[in-house]
Amino acid sequence: MLETVVQAVINGLLIGGIYALVSIGVTLIFGVVKIVNFAQGEFVMLGMYITFFLFTYFGIDPLLSLFVSMPVLFVAGALIQHFLIRRVLGPNDMPQIFLTFALSLLLLNLSLLLFTANYRTVHTFYSDEAIHIGGIYIPVAKLIAFVVAMALSGALWVLLHTTDLGKAMRAAAQNRDVATLMGINPNRVFAVAFGAALALAGAAGSLLMPFYSAYPFVGQVFVLMAFVAVVLGTLGNVVGALVASLMMGVAESLGIQFVGADSGLIVVFAMLLLTLAFKPTGLGGGRMR
Amino acid sequence: MAETNKWTWLALAVLVAALLMLPQVVKNAFALDIFIRILLFSFIGVAWNLMGGYGAYTSTIMQIDFNISPWIGMIAGGVVAMLASLPIGWLCFRLRGPYFTIATIATAQALMLIFLKFRDLAWGAEGTTIPNLGSSPLMMQFETKASYYYVVLGLLAIGLAITYRIEKSWMGYYLVAIGEDEDAAEAIGVNAPRIKRDIYMISAFLTALAGTFYVQYIYFIDPATAFNFNISIEAALVSIVGGIGTLWGPVIGTVLLETTSALLQSWLGSTTGGIQLTVYALILMAIILWRPTGLMGMVNEVLQRRAQQRKPTQARTVL
Repeated sequence: MLETVVQAVINGLLIGGIYALVSIGVTLIFGVVKIVNFAQGEFVMLGMYITFFLFTYFGIDPLLSLFVSMPVLFVAGALIQHFLIRRVLGPNDMPQIFLTFALSLLLLNLSLLLFTANYRTVHTFYSDEAIHIGGIYIPVAKLIAFVVAMALSGALWVLLHTTDLGKAMRAAAQNRDVATLMGINPNRVFAVAFGAALALAGAAGSLLMPFYSAYPFVGQVFVLMAFVAVVLGTLGNVVGALVASLMMGVAESLGIQFVGADSGLIVVFAMLLLTLAFKPTGLGGGRMR
Repeated sequence: MAETNKWTWLALAVLVAALLMLPQVVKNAFALDIFIRILLFSFIGVAWNLMGGYGAYTSTIMQIDFNISPWIGMIAGGVVAMLASLPIGWLCFRLRGPYFTIATIATAQALMLIFLKFRDLAWGAEGTTIPNLGSSPLMMQFETKASYYYVVLGLLAIGLAITYRIEKSWMGYYLVAIGEDEDAAEAIGVNAPRIKRDIYMISAFLTALAGTFYVQYIYFIDPATAFNFNISIEAALVSIVGGIGTLWGPVIGTVLLETTSALLQSWLGSTTGGIQLTVYALILMAIILWRPTGLMGMVNEVLQRRAQQRKPTQARTVL
């Protein structure tokens, strides 16, 4: 019994690391640019396809393809911010919601058109490996994904807190007008924040590929989780999103283990609805930690 | 002013006559199917949200288990949808901005998952087919597509009439005030969460009616159809493209999108998955970036410009 619980918690933590990369991206964009990016999941999907094609045609290991998927998506993010999102920033949030929603719809159906609905998998030499500790079983690919995800989250935290660029981002998040008066160029900061968020989504895609199939709708799974995590962890709060993602991974995993195979998401949504009903500002409080 | 009113009424009369005559002129069942879908989606677009599923399920359960006519089931479904909208409204309308959006999407997903989960309740994930009775107008089943067309045309007329009445009532003005600035509206005594909840209930009722019709029209119900995300997307799209918060916006939006989709299907065949929504997404992005007020906004701009051009000439004749 205890072993089953520990195993479920470990499974939850490992997948929670991936949720964290996606939700930190959502919360970073919300914190800095003040929009909800409904297309975040589709960028995870793009990261997965980039990794899949690099592996299939050039034999590049998914971990090495991090060095391709992250820069490519960073540039894509900066361009999207500069040419699309910037045009709809304003007091009315409806156009922003619809724009990122349209972007998600476009990427989803375009990949359905180009890549077909087939499930694509990558089989590396460590895909089937696992570490056994007593009766506990830890898949190597998931462990690597978790460790790299935590390292990237830590790197983002260091970027936000120690570099001038990071401080400029936090300043723009706290008060855009005052930040502009202090000589911060908001457009540049927004482009970097959007790019960084998409790079994290791309990293999530590359890290998922050794143990998860790529298909056009795959992003939807992760973006729903990310939304729940950013609300739980307070919108705009990076540390909150990280902690909430890990909590949700564990909640989902325990739900699957003890309620039923299709109940993982129900447990997670129950958590969200309770949070919204009793503490709508999330568990984190404050912003941009 | 009186003159423009006369023209509006004349145009409306011509439109109604044309819509009533359509099945007599168009005998092609495929074409009529497109028109039925256009009307249905403009109806849902007038009152879009996820409540269609409740209406569809209520009326179908009443029909299959208790043999009650969908005409009655439709109203019951509307009431059930209104009741179901209460907790969602209570939960979501206290929230604002991004919290509201995320909460609504998550609640909708959770409700669909719960329906999928409880298999014993209402046939579970597999769904069920509606018994085909041939011609039975009392059970909302007809032999000809033309009859379905008139039913959905009637529903659309009801939906438009209710929306028109709301737009012209105190509730409509309150809604405009909330839309312009929620804080300012609340400061002068508008109970914003209550107004939003009431509108949500009305729209839940209307959408539930559409849900019943849709199930009767396709003879099949399962959670994936009843709570179909694509229907929600399509309903949302027609409202946005047509112009949100306008009476005729969803109707214009539906005509544009359904016509585009029919043309795409006849050009490319239905083999290429994804092409239809790819084109929808591009249209949507173009509208948001260049015409955020939708097609209705464009129409209004043109009308205003013409009215302004007319004014000086009228002034001259008076002088």
